[in-house]
Amino acid sequence: MLGFADWLFIAWYFVLSIGIGLYYSKKAGRSISEYFLGGRSLPWWLLGTSMVATSFSADTPLAVTGIVMKDGVSGNWFWWNFMLGGALTILFFAHLWRRAGVMTEVEFIDIRYSGRPAKFLRGFKALYLGVPISCITFGWVTLAMVKIIQAVFQTSATTAMVVCLGLTVIYTALSGLWGVVATDMLLFGVAMLGSIILAVVSVEKAGGIGAITAAATAVSARTGKDYLSVFPPLGQALPLAFFVAIFVQWWAVYYPGAEPGGGGWSAQRMLAARNPRHAVLGTLWFNIAHYVIRPWPWILTALAALALFPALAGAPAGVQEAAYPKMIAFLPRGIKGIVIASLFAAFMSTIESIVNLSGSFLLNDFYRPFIRRDASEKHYVMVSRLLVVAVSLLGAGVSLILGSVKMGWQVLMELSAGIGLVLLLRWYWWRVSAWSEISALGASAATAVYLRKFPGSPLVAALSSALERAGFKVDAWGVDIILIVAVTTVVWIAVTFLTPPDDRDKLLSFYRRVRPGGFWGPVARLNGRSYKLQAWPFLGWGLALVLILCSLFGVGRLVFADWGRGAAYIAAGAAAAVLLSRVINKIDWEGQ
Amino acid sequence: MKKEYRPMALGFWGVAVPLAVFGILFCRTAAERVTVFLAAAIFFLVGTLIGRAKQ
Repeated sequence: MLGFADWLFIAWYFVLSIGIGLYYSKKAGRSISEYFLGGRSLPWWLLGTSMVATSFSADTPLAVTGIVMKDGVSGNWFWWNFMLGGALTILFFAHLWRRAGVMTEVEFIDIRYSGRPAKFLRGFKALYLGVPISCITFGWVTLAMVKIIQAVFQTSATTAMVVCLGLTVIYTALSGLWGVVATDMLLFGVAMLGSIILAVVSVEKAGGIGAITAAATAVSARTGKDYLSVFPPLGQALPLAFFVAIFVQWWAVYYPGAEPGGGGWSAQRMLAARNPRHAVLGTLWFNIAHYVIRPWPWILTALAALALFPALAGAPAGVQEAAYPKMIAFLPRGIKGIVIASLFAAFMSTIESIVNLSGSFLLNDFYRPFIRRDASEKHYVMVSRLLVVAVSLLGAGVSLILGSVKMGWQVLMELSAGIGLVLLLRWYWWRVSAWSEISALGASAATAVYLRKFPGSPLVAALSSALERAGFKVDAWGVDIILIVAVTTVVWIAVTFLTPPDDRDKLLSFYRRVRPGGFWGPVARLNGRSYKLQAWPFLGWGLALVLILCSLFGVGRLVFADWGRGAAYIAAGAAAAVLLSRVINKIDWEGQ
Repeated sequence: MKKEYRPMALGFWGVAVPLAVFGILFCRTAAERVTVFLAAAIFFLVGTLIGRAKQ
């Protein structure tokens, strides 16, 4: 039960975050560039923090708790693999997004491709990303928050949910991106604060770090899995899902917050950066905060829960995930309110970004080009605000019919599992056209639907037995992703060569505007000057990975009081950071 | 202080102060107290840094 002090802090937290959001409503009303891109004036620290706040939703700590309880710390490679793509985005794509100077990820289609297919693709993606994808994401985040509220308050808490959603949507609709990123700054701070306090109290309750280590070792002996290792489970029969995560998922799967080459809310923030260099630094800060700062408090809480309730090691996934909110019961009065406010913060920071982004797609890439072309900025801002409210209502409806949180993200991942490569190459290969993207989207969704409908088809059976013979521990998820990616890649590459290239003028104008390197031979010759892809970004990619990995492992060792190894990892991470800063300073991000 | 950053700085200070008060009133063990006070100090510092951030 919550005391007066808990309620007081929760109420104060709402006053602060909503007050910050509302402060920016006047500024946001000036134009849609102000409303959706904050006037392209964001500094790196603000846009990077906003990205990580958005990716930290209420269900994230629960999901990580479930992963750790099921597979141990190394199970996190299921999402840590995205750091490979994240580091790639820092060095190869963030500055290009900012140079493109478009309003949304979808508007990119308009500057890159020509003709009717481009028009169709822009309209289709605006609706696809703006309505079903946004609503599914909104639905699963809301569903997770409802579950947390039920666990914490021991009630259905519909009123609390409606109030929280209502307030978030009102200030988001009024304040635009500036309001979103400014509140994100505070919300991320409060969300991390809650996670850290919960981790400290949970570890104390479990008897300290020594007791947790002993308990995890005992569970490891019982189950045959190493619960404490951060390294992938190599050397034994390699689980296929793990292989897919490391070698396929990060470049092939379009997942909100980890889109290959950037997309969604991360692209929106790169586009809102003050200049290309700020876009790069902001994306770097996002990746460090996302992979190094966020996970350890959740992992510690999960291991403490495992020590306190060892039977959870073999429990169903839902029960394992519920261990996180269960730990809140151990908090002292007064402090409990802070941790509950932190969960609201995680929820609100994600919801506000989803609805703002969805409004930007629907307004900028559907309403403005296809419904009303020449209205005033005031009119567009008003319509944007209405769209934000409409998407929120739809998303709330989806949360009522969505079976589970896992169902939401599985559907999303499978539908767009094969489109990553085309999203990466469209920047660096002139031959990619609107048809390439259309065929990739169609092939990916069609294969996913086929595999859902016929899970035991001969194709699946043949691939499964081949992979088993190759020494993998096969699972349906891994087989499905491999098939979707293979079919999609073959289809879009074939379609690319079978359809005509884009209009010469369109390609030339894109090449001059974005100045990418790579495979632009014929267009570069037309331009009379070619932009080369240099070696520095490749070196920077490696260094960014060393920085993130060593810092992640270093913090992990330090929290387990392994000072020597922890310090060594941190020192290696720091050395990579110094070298990376030199590489970043060497690169001309404006591409002049 | 830059006008755009003012609400963020106030927000961080607005969390730091009650955090410190709650730390004094409700924390039972040394570990809890250290965590909450350290967090309050970090919030205060971040608020100050945001307040001093340049254009």
